[in-house]
Amino acid sequence: MAQLKLKYIFPALLLIGGLLLAAPPASPLDTSAPDGLPPPTAGNDSYDKVMSVLTHPRCINCHPSDHLPKQGLEGRPHHFGVARGAAGHGFEATNCNTCHQNENNDYSGVPGAPHWGLAPASMGWQGLSRAEVAEALLDRSRNGNRGYEALIHHLTEDPLVLWAWSPGVDAAGQPREKPPVAKEAYIKAVKDWFAAGAPIPR
Amino acid sequence: MAQDKPRKKVSRRKFLVRAGLGTVGVMAIGTYVFRNPIRREVLEMAETLVPPYSGSGTSANLWFEVLEDNRVRLHSPKVEMGQGAFTGLAQIAADELDVAPGQIEVVAAATDSGVVDAMSTGGSLSIASLWQPLREMAATMREMLKNEAAKQLGADAGSLSTREGIVFSGEGSLTYAEIAAAATEWELPEVPELRAAAQYQYVGKPVQRVDLAPKVFGSPIFGLDAELPGMLHASIIRPEAVGAQLKSLDSKAAADMPGVVKIVELENAVGVVAESYPQALAACRKVKVEWDVPKRWAEEDIRSLLQVGKGDKMVTQKAGKAVSEEDGAVVSLSFTSPIGAHAQLEPNGALAHVEEGKATVVLSTQVVGITRNQVAEALGMKPEQVNVVPTYLGGGFGRRLNTAHAIEAALLSRAVGKPVKYMFTRQEEFQHDTFRPPTHHIVKARLGEDGLLDALEHHYASGDVAIGSLIMPSALHQVLGTDIGAMRGGNIMYDNIPNRRAVQWHTSLPFATSWWRSLGLLANTFAIESMVDEMAMRSGQHPADFRLAHISEEGAGARIKAVIREAVEKAGYSDEVQNGRAMGLAASIDTNSPCAHVVEVSVEAGEIKVHKVTCVLDCGLAVNPDQVRAQCEGSILMGMSAAMHEKMTLHKGELQPTIYGPYQMALMRHAPKEINVYLLQGAEVPLPVGEPPLGPIAAAIGNAVRRLTGQRLTDLPLRMG
Amino acid sequence: MKIAFTINGRAQSVEIEDGNTPLLWVIRDQLNLKGTKFGCGKAACGACTILVDGEAVRCCSYAAKLAEGKQITTIEGLGTRAQPHPVQQAWIEEVVPQCGYCQPGFIMATAALLEKNPAPTDEDIDNNIVNVCRCGTYYRMRKAIHRAAALQAQQVAVNPKNQ
Repeated sequence: MAQLKLKYIFPALLLIGGLLLAAPPASPLDTSAPDGLPPPTAGNDSYDKVMSVLTHPRCINCHPSDHLPKQGLEGRPHHFGVARGAAGHGFEATNCNTCHQNENNDYSGVPGAPHWGLAPASMGWQGLSRAEVAEALLDRSRNGNRGYEALIHHLTEDPLVLWAWSPGVDAAGQPREKPPVAKEAYIKAVKDWFAAGAPIPR
Repeated sequence: MAQDKPRKKVSRRKFLVRAGLGTVGVMAIGTYVFRNPIRREVLEMAETLVPPYSGSGTSANLWFEVLEDNRVRLHSPKVEMGQGAFTGLAQIAADELDVAPGQIEVVAAATDSGVVDAMSTGGSLSIASLWQPLREMAATMREMLKNEAAKQLGADAGSLSTREGIVFSGEGSLTYAEIAAAATEWELPEVPELRAAAQYQYVGKPVQRVDLAPKVFGSPIFGLDAELPGMLHASIIRPEAVGAQLKSLDSKAAADMPGVVKIVELENAVGVVAESYPQALAACRKVKVEWDVPKRWAEEDIRSLLQVGKGDKMVTQKAGKAVSEEDGAVVSLSFTSPIGAHAQLEPNGALAHVEEGKATVVLSTQVVGITRNQVAEALGMKPEQVNVVPTYLGGGFGRRLNTAHAIEAALLSRAVGKPVKYMFTRQEEFQHDTFRPPTHHIVKARLGEDGLLDALEHHYASGDVAIGSLIMPSALHQVLGTDIGAMRGGNIMYDNIPNRRAVQWHTSLPFATSWWRSLGLLANTFAIESMVDEMAMRSGQHPADFRLAHISEEGAGARIKAVIREAVEKAGYSDEVQNGRAMGLAASIDTNSPCAHVVEVSVEAGEIKVHKVTCVLDCGLAVNPDQVRAQCEGSILMGMSAAMHEKMTLHKGELQPTIYGPYQMALMRHAPKEINVYLLQGAEVPLPVGEPPLGPIAAAIGNAVRRLTGQRLTDLPLRMG
Repeated sequence: MKIAFTINGRAQSVEIEDGNTPLLWVIRDQLNLKGTKFGCGKAACGACTILVDGEAVRCCSYAAKLAEGKQITTIEGLGTRAQPHPVQQAWIEEVVPQCGYCQPGFIMATAALLEKNPAPTDEDIDNNIVNVCRCGTYYRMRKAIHRAAALQAQQVAVNPKNQ
């Protein structure tokens, strides 16, 4: 049986490879290395995992590039004209905590986690390519002057970030989609990526 | 303690409530044998008619109670759902009863009070239909008190006067409460002569709403606030897909959930009764239900069902000749409106207590008597064994003209032997609404050589509005051959146009559609008034002059023209785009109340913004001008919400969305900063006001957008292409 | 579990089986304060808005256990008929309510707004007052909010301690 499977897998890989080569270059999600650069490294593999999480709606919805938080997998603007406000937590009286508490509410389907709110405007990632997200993440002038250690802490220990793996149910009572990489694998990937010097494949 | 003395030993002779023209139903019987032209005449009459109050309880002592503290309690057959009826009724009664409106406590009559409205609270008729009978009743009550006081004082009744709840004679005085306390037998006099308009102290004044304080300080006045000792809570699981039928039910896991008392299979639904409402909700999530879904309806299915040219056809208006399909001079435009939800803020529900041989149901309803009869029938009881206690309504808008869910609450109460309060979830509310049906319209117009319209036709397709509703006599549809709810605003008011047609195409849809504030008026007026404005532009004429030229002085014509003239004058209407804003005009007449709006609109980043609305309504006698204005403002906002934001759709067989937000509605930020309402009083009696101002709003906005951008928007909700 | 908090100035403790029960039902059904309304149960309409430590909160989506130790104000505790809160006074003067069901939520949200922003602009009102009213009382509400701000300013001027 194993023999038989391999027989099919190899041509399948070839086929997929062919499709990838045929795909137009410079798509924001395309992280394959252009000719002339070193081959993918362990850091690049971690990078892929980390970026597939950071660009998932569970993360990107609160890293908008405008002043509007987003909702849903389609990333549409938050209903009721909710916006960033002065400090990233909404308007003075009607703010994030009017509806969002420090944990999910299964009765209402309203998500919640500690310090629910938007990332600072300088950390607006929506619409950016993976490489641009990574650059923004690492840029101390935009990331709140965070070094690697502080970034690792934010990415692997902040309960608001880790909420992405326990996103609860939506208003219709259906489970929200989680990011494409398991939490533990993601945490390991973050650490590995920084350990490798946080390379951004070009 | 209430004094029910006036109810004692009263002779049972009912006094006359003016029969007026009779109800629409009565007329329908007379038209059964007639052919279409006569039907049309009846329909036109039905459209402008104010049906008189028709209900039981036509004796003053049933409507009024004199309380010990000398206030008077008025048992109103009409409920208060925001329209201000209780305030207007208090004013009307006060002027004949000679008390201050603040001395009158208005309560919605429970069916066991004997005051049962056979129809409904709806059609904007609360004030208009009770104007005559309530004054007669109040004047009779005053005379009863005077006659009794004459006996008690040993005076001649003719020498007595009444003021602020006190009967005065030359020597002394008695309060109404004192008279009632000492009375042993009441004599029911003939209906006295009613006061003339010049004598009104309260009618016509902006008296403060009688329900203001309870609503500002949070008193428990609504259906869902009701409680009974030992009460349990219920939630009901209903199919999410249209047309789904209950296939299998497994309630084992749910039955073990905390607080669950009983799980009851109902008709195509499952009721979960628990000690608390959140427990009932939590248990519902554990009930395993399978549904048979014969067909997953899609939006396109509905659109293809509901088209001009499909379904039951009825010509609802006919003058001159029909335009020919080949006539190249005919301009034809197609319009649509979507499925609309009521989205009233208080979810539906009912508190029911079924006991041996009797039942009590407390709820927010617009159909008190019908709900009583429905519950009685379901329980196998006589109507008089069931007491329906209506509360204040957290919004009506036509949604509560069908409160059959009272039956389910009663069945659940009977199943557990305790009072049960059942509340809709918001999802249930959105998926099991009795929706405003979607519509499709084709409007055809032709200009004559004089630059005026020589033909205008409105062909409109709609789902059920009146058809299938318990309010309407069931034979009415068959008799008249048309849905008179879908017809509202469907006929053309421009009677100078020689060739006119209005043709209704009716199709029943696979989900419930019914009354939604103003019925067909919003969509029908949108179609007709968009076309009329378009033709005014093509004719190069001022939109007001163009309209005025097409209306005669006959019938309500002069009053329609007056609101149009007033609206353009007050708004300072101009065809020119100024500071990025354009104006739009539209007018309609509904239930004999003509209304015209001029709106000022801009389009910023593709979003239509309404800055100012000038509204002119001819409401006849304005019993409370401030509350008539409030109804205009509310109608404008609700109409804007429907015209610019709202839309239900069918998605994989389910009606979506199921929550505010995704169901977009007008919010504070969408409300015009300026709404100026002007009231014309072109009749001596109060006319309906709660719906007519909804009519022209969508068309007025569309007409302004056309003048601003050149785009003629033909689909609701209005979105820039 | 037992939860203790202060509601409308009164210490209160309640016993509930599930600490995740929305506070709305504790307020309405256990404490029998019916002025706070159930509109959607999804924190979308705002009919259940109350104040928790002075902040506007939609309590249909607020687990009861979170109320531990908090100061809660509902519409019943905002003002009285004898001494209405400026927002309630303004609501009466402008005759805002129609059906009235959404009004407690709007009044509480407005009270929270005036706490943070004693003189809100139209834009501040548009941003902060995002509850849903079906009767369409928004036009009068906006006027009432400006009036409430003026009434509150008068009170502060007369008695600065009130602020």
